[in-house]
Amino acid sequence: MRTTSFIWDVCKSSFTFGLIGLTVSDRFASVVHVQGLSMSPTFNPPNNSSLGLLTVNGPSTDDHVMVEKRCLTDYKFSHGDVIVFSSPRNYKEKQIKRITGLAGDWISVPFSYDAVRIPEGHCWVEGDNPTDSLDSRSFGPIPLGLIRGRVTHILWPPQRVQKVDRKLPRSGLTF
Amino acid sequence: MLPTFNLTNELVLLERISTRNGKAGSGDVVILQSPENPRKLVTKRIIGMEGDKITYIVDPKNSDRTETVIVPKGHVWVQGDNIYNSYDSRNFGPVPYGLLKGKIWPSSAFGSIGKRPETVDPALKVLEQTNQS
Repeated sequence: MRTTSFIWDVCKSSFTFGLIGLTVSDRFASVVHVQGLSMSPTFNPPNNSSLGLLTVNGPSTDDHVMVEKRCLTDYKFSHGDVIVFSSPRNYKEKQIKRITGLAGDWISVPFSYDAVRIPEGHCWVEGDNPTDSLDSRSFGPIPLGLIRGRVTHILWPPQRVQKVDRKLPRSGLTF
Repeated sequence: MLPTFNLTNELVLLERISTRNGKAGSGDVVILQSPENPRKLVTKRIIGMEGDKITYIVDPKNSDRTETVIVPKGHVWVQGDNIYNSYDSRNFGPVPYGLLKGKIWPSSAFGSIGKRPETVDPALKVLEQTNQS
């Protein structure tokens, strides 16, 4: 009888903590594993590995960042915020990019004299590493409703623990 | 969304799992975040999924001009059932699937929700057949 009540206690505690953990990660903050080099050098900077030109970031050195969800109550974002959003091409994929334009801004289209105005309720996202980033330059402005959180800190690896700051865009027309 | 829903406030059951799993499809009535204001939820019917060819009447009150689009990957085309008075994909374009928040459930049990009601414009019936062919 003592074993069954012990198992029952374990079940109750894990259910409680699981529920609390789920609520916190859904409403307040969660940790996200950053893959890929589209936000280099802000996340996953290139290693000085002995492979020379080929810089590889394996799973042991990928950054893990803290994503806060409180910004999703009123969707007030600023230029330079790093956000996590569902890809408009595939809702199951989540991407991390920086907001470089908000509704009402004009963005210059590369290799042309056109300028695109970002519609209401949308934003323009770009990766910090423009050569290796699939972002708004390919799929256009994204609705703010796709945003799933804002990145505030890098939590892992320990030598890279720091706050992620807003960085204003270096290029592109913003009036 | 007349005549599917009344003008007086109606209470329906919203099911949030189908949209997370990708099971929402054409003909479903869904709730989605408006692409123009993420704090606003709107109710529309999915007319087409990615890859579908949609032919729609641009401005039914004034003319019969139609346009045809192909829904891009990862997006859906939504329209209100009352096309004379609905602000939907004909105005803001196809919406990414990630904006869908839930499906009105169950689709077939309630008499007024489900397939489009029969008392519609004959012009719309032609459109429906063109979409399906």
